[in-house]
Amino acid sequence: MTQSNGNNILTALSDSMAAAVEKGGAATVLVAGRRRIPASGIAYAPDLILTADHVIERDDDIPVVLPDGTELVAKLAGRDPGSDLAVLRLGRAVAAVAEPAPQEARIGQLVLALGRPSPDGIQASLGVISAVGGPVRTGRGGLLERYLRTDAVPYPGFSGGPLVDTAGRIVGLNTSGLARGASLAIPASLAWQVAETLAQHGSIRRGYLGVRSQPVAIPPAQQKALGRDQEAGLLLVGVEDGSPAEAGGLIVGDILTGIADQPVNDPDELLGRLSGEVVGRPTAVEVLRGGQPRTLMVTIGERK
Amino acid sequence: MELNIVLLDVVDLSNTLAEAFTAVFQRAQRSLVIVHNGRDGAGAGVIWQPGGIVVTNHHVVARGKARISLVGGREYPTRLIAKDPHIDLAILRAETAGEYDPELPAAPIADSRDLRVGQVALAIGHPWGQIGAVAARIISGLGEVPVRGRQGTVSVIHTDVGLAPGNSGGPLMNASGGVIGINTMIVGGDLGVAIPSHVVNAFVAETLGQEVPQVAR
Repeated sequence: MTQSNGNNILTALSDSMAAAVEKGGAATVLVAGRRRIPASGIAYAPDLILTADHVIERDDDIPVVLPDGTELVAKLAGRDPGSDLAVLRLGRAVAAVAEPAPQEARIGQLVLALGRPSPDGIQASLGVISAVGGPVRTGRGGLLERYLRTDAVPYPGFSGGPLVDTAGRIVGLNTSGLARGASLAIPASLAWQVAETLAQHGSIRRGYLGVRSQPVAIPPAQQKALGRDQEAGLLLVGVEDGSPAEAGGLIVGDILTGIADQPVNDPDELLGRLSGEVVGRPTAVEVLRGGQPRTLMVTIGERK
Repeated sequence: MELNIVLLDVVDLSNTLAEAFTAVFQRAQRSLVIVHNGRDGAGAGVIWQPGGIVVTNHHVVARGKARISLVGGREYPTRLIAKDPHIDLAILRAETAGEYDPELPAAPIADSRDLRVGQVALAIGHPWGQIGAVAARIISGLGEVPVRGRQGTVSVIHTDVGLAPGNSGGPLMNASGGVIGINTMIVGGDLGVAIPSHVVNAFVAETLGQEVPQVAR
């Protein structure tokens, strides 16, 4: 009795994983954007493919093979080497669009890494979410707010493909291009956000302030003056000549505590706050000067 | 209260799952053999049919006369009755006293023609000499690889079960313990490949002059 019940449960697990592969695989395409073996991509909108930046070596005529074998040609719509993401635009809509998982990945969760590096069919490997980390500097000039680590086998050509949950929903995008020797996944929520920007603007704009800084503790009295519990800020130890920071009135000795109404505790947070919407715009920069909070309007430059 | 019930369900579920794995592997051990070839390493094999018909990899028995033994059981001399080096399969007949030796039960063979990527894949064998070691993952891919010889290509099952020397010739099984393939490390050029059981069935049937069996799904 136990055995037959037990067997049913194992069979049920088996069937549900096969169904997850089928569902996730229906939105996983082959992307032949490099000379080596093809990589994978995720159909994240009807005519848009999200893939890894490092597997795209050209801007036009990028062959894409759909799950049903249809061969299309895509154009690069946008790329962000910093987060290793790229968006390709197809000439027409594809059949299945990926469904992102409703919740963030949890450590220990069962996941399947999917890839379609060959037209022969979907490929998959099983693992768990081993770690959730971040923020981390990617070594390609970017900062990844969060990343996932999994023990699922990263087969060649899996970069750009999805990591899915046991319901076939996208938990992340697999890439071997962010960390040497390790396969990471970019969480779906983050990847989708970057993809939106890439599809619209073609790149992620990274801001430039022109300061050198080091983290310092903010004493309780000054936290009181700030009006919030913030234990650290960035002491400006250098302001570049002719920089946006200088033009906006920042001086050496200021402790930078916030940008655009968001607190800044450390250099990674500063890097994060300086990307996207604020670039090129007059932005409120909050500092402690002589122990007193001041807000200066600084027009954030763009890092080329 | 409701939360407690949910927690209980989760615990029951993982207990049942653990029992299911154990039951499948215990059954699989009875039809698993150790293939001794007179050298250091040992390969694995599967009792494919009653009457001592054992399937293993060709490369396991390519040199010298092989003996088989059951896991924790007795040893049998064998006769090599067929081999196909191109798809790395060999068939041995255990020399038993009678036609049906109850100590050599045939494994349940599953149909490998309707497999799906993502399904549970279970392997049992003797990796690095560890007798009867088990591993569980999934079917990673299904495809064809080119082989020399008359077939031209052969179907293979790719799996992310980490196979090692000593898994060669052992079974790859589905979630109910049915054998879906014979693990090999020679064909396909990479780790974790199995020759599907429908290919093995055809080879066995041809060798024994049987009709290709219609396996239950």
